[in-house]
Amino acid sequence: MEFVARKNDLLRELQLFQGIVERKNTIPILANVLMEAKGDEVRFSATDLEVGLRSKCKASVTKPGSITLPAKKFYEIVRSLPDTDIRVAEDKSGVKVAADRFDSRMQTLPKEDFPTLPESGGAPTVGLSPVSMKEMVSKTQFAITGEDTRYFLNGALFVLRPDSMSLVATDGHRLALVNVKRDGNPSANGDENKAILPKKTLGELGRLLGEGDGDISYERGENHLFFTVGDRMLISRMIDGQFPAYERVIPKGNDKHIEFERDRLTNAVKRVALLSNERSRAVKFQIDRGKVDITSSSPELGEAKETLPVEYSGGEMQICFNAQYVLDFLSAVTTDVVALELKDEVSQAVMTPVGAEGYDYTYVIMPMRV
Amino acid sequence: MVRRIIHLDMDAFYASVEQRDDPSLRGKPLVVGGQPGERGVVAAASYEARLFGVRSAMSMAKAVRLCPTIVIVPPDFARYRAASAAVFALFHEVTALVEPLSLDEAYLDVTENSWQEPLATNVARTLKERIRTETRLTASAGVAPNKFLAKIASGWKKPDGLTVISPDRVEPFLQQLPVDALWGVGPVTARKLRNQGIERLVDVRAIDPSQLRKAVGSLAGWLRQLADGIDDRPVVPNRESKSSGSESTYSEDLISLETIRGEIRGMASRAARWLARKTLLARTVTIKVRYSDFTTITRSHSAAPTGDEGSIVARAIQLLDRTEAGRRPVRLLGVSVHNFCGEADAAIEPADRLPF
Repeated sequence: MEFVARKNDLLRELQLFQGIVERKNTIPILANVLMEAKGDEVRFSATDLEVGLRSKCKASVTKPGSITLPAKKFYEIVRSLPDTDIRVAEDKSGVKVAADRFDSRMQTLPKEDFPTLPESGGAPTVGLSPVSMKEMVSKTQFAITGEDTRYFLNGALFVLRPDSMSLVATDGHRLALVNVKRDGNPSANGDENKAILPKKTLGELGRLLGEGDGDISYERGENHLFFTVGDRMLISRMIDGQFPAYERVIPKGNDKHIEFERDRLTNAVKRVALLSNERSRAVKFQIDRGKVDITSSSPELGEAKETLPVEYSGGEMQICFNAQYVLDFLSAVTTDVVALELKDEVSQAVMTPVGAEGYDYTYVIMPMRV
Repeated sequence: MVRRIIHLDMDAFYASVEQRDDPSLRGKPLVVGGQPGERGVVAAASYEARLFGVRSAMSMAKAVRLCPTIVIVPPDFARYRAASAAVFALFHEVTALVEPLSLDEAYLDVTENSWQEPLATNVARTLKERIRTETRLTASAGVAPNKFLAKIASGWKKPDGLTVISPDRVEPFLQQLPVDALWGVGPVTARKLRNQGIERLVDVRAIDPSQLRKAVGSLAGWLRQLADGIDDRPVVPNRESKSSGSESTYSEDLISLETIRGEIRGMASRAARWLARKTLLARTVTIKVRYSDFTTITRSHSAAPTGDEGSIVARAIQLLDRTEAGRRPVRLLGVSVHNFCGEADAAIEPADRLPF
């Protein structure tokens, strides 16, 4: 196999694989990217068996064929080269990567060991708006737990309906839900189509959409999901399991409504949280006519308070949150104003962006017992 | 100041409790433990059984081979614990400095004692006598200026022995001590030492320290101290439990996930009841799985402290999902709880779970 490709073309594709390849290094071939040169392009693929990615770039192929190379090292080499043509050629003892006056030979692993990625095309595809998808991913991704024994919480629930779609994530303490309207798709039937996406899939999907060009086409296979964005396809395993009944924990009767300027609330919570209990990170919202005092105290550190003037005429109350959960929400939204809706000090609170366009965002936080 | 340490060790404890409670077992070779067909091991052997070479921790199959007429009694820990509690109550009459090593063994620091008895030998003699009259069991005692010598002394004459190593007799005692009499020196270490020409503990004094280190590694410094009869470890009363749990080896490998779940459920409930008795809560639940090929894995989950039986069971069962139990045959299962805290500590922790 031998091909020549532009540095920037190679680099752009290879960097997308950096998050895909297996980092734990348990199966060596999973750290490699498979490259198949044919016609006037090179196709790339890599997987950690949970998430896989296929992409391609233009190349002049002198000898068609395929090889595998360590994704990270190959990327580092390509990145370090000047903007020029890079030649990749297989020889008896490895793979030559050369450009300009630079010459190298890298160890390869047999392409026969490379796992076969699942093939799409078994089910109908659905078009999704990349803008909406990006919105949904960035506003829910952070609420997924890293390592929960309830493995179904290690992902986000994607619900596709003919006229709308949602993404929901929770770690059992807070829940983030984004709803987006869709143009009714005539080819879809009326059913809800649900799948739990692994945390890593959301991260990589976010990255692909960041590169963003073109629509997303989505296919839900039997065990895998396929997201095609332009020339790239992200393939993800589905998490098997029952996502909790999230609708049940979204409160309906929160009658106390307080609006904050997002920046001021963010800064106040950040500052006050500096003296919160280091383990619980608890900050207290003391709500009264016309103002909210945000306070913290910890026996070892001391105490802090910041007062925010608000429009509020209801009864006095106080409620305690993990500061990090509040800040996660505040940094995920972009509106100038956010709302906090409460019932009492022990029931779930809801935060929403005020004046958001194109999506509904509901963020539910369980208060802490004071 | 010279300390006065007593090591008390009940004689063939579980087996003696069985013989005490069932006269038909007296004078017979007896072992307490699981049946040989069930991969049982000997938890305790009566002195009659020891004459045949039967020892604790030996596989039951081997015990039966050594002594085909041996009587196997399944363990009844409730009775052993009751007997143990009676013995320890006596210990605590003498001093608060009681360090339990197991149900049937403890160190006592009687340098100062509530009987105002200056001679540790008399304390040991009285304790043995009271154990005999109050529990109808016998114990062997070792009296010495430190823990290591006291422990060796109690094993010197058994059963019903009393061995005293007064400070002026430490040196002659050390002179006759073979290396494998030491706690922590097993057959392998003993062989390594013998290869260096060390037969007796005191031979350690003459050997070059680096050579000793090469032979036994980090044990070298400790051995050197013991060779001089030095052991400053204090008697630490009532070590706090850091974890509690149980495990079982199964007579046949478990294949059905239902059965495995049932076993885990049972052990997790037991751990939860133990917490309830101790009025403790645990943050961490751990399960242990040994597959049929002896590879052993553990899986842990930490969350807000709980003593609730239901949630401890649920956590343990969920941890099974992170193992291959069911897909691979399982030989041993275990459940334990750790990271304890009291109810009061837990109250300040947030209970901020969404009510799914």
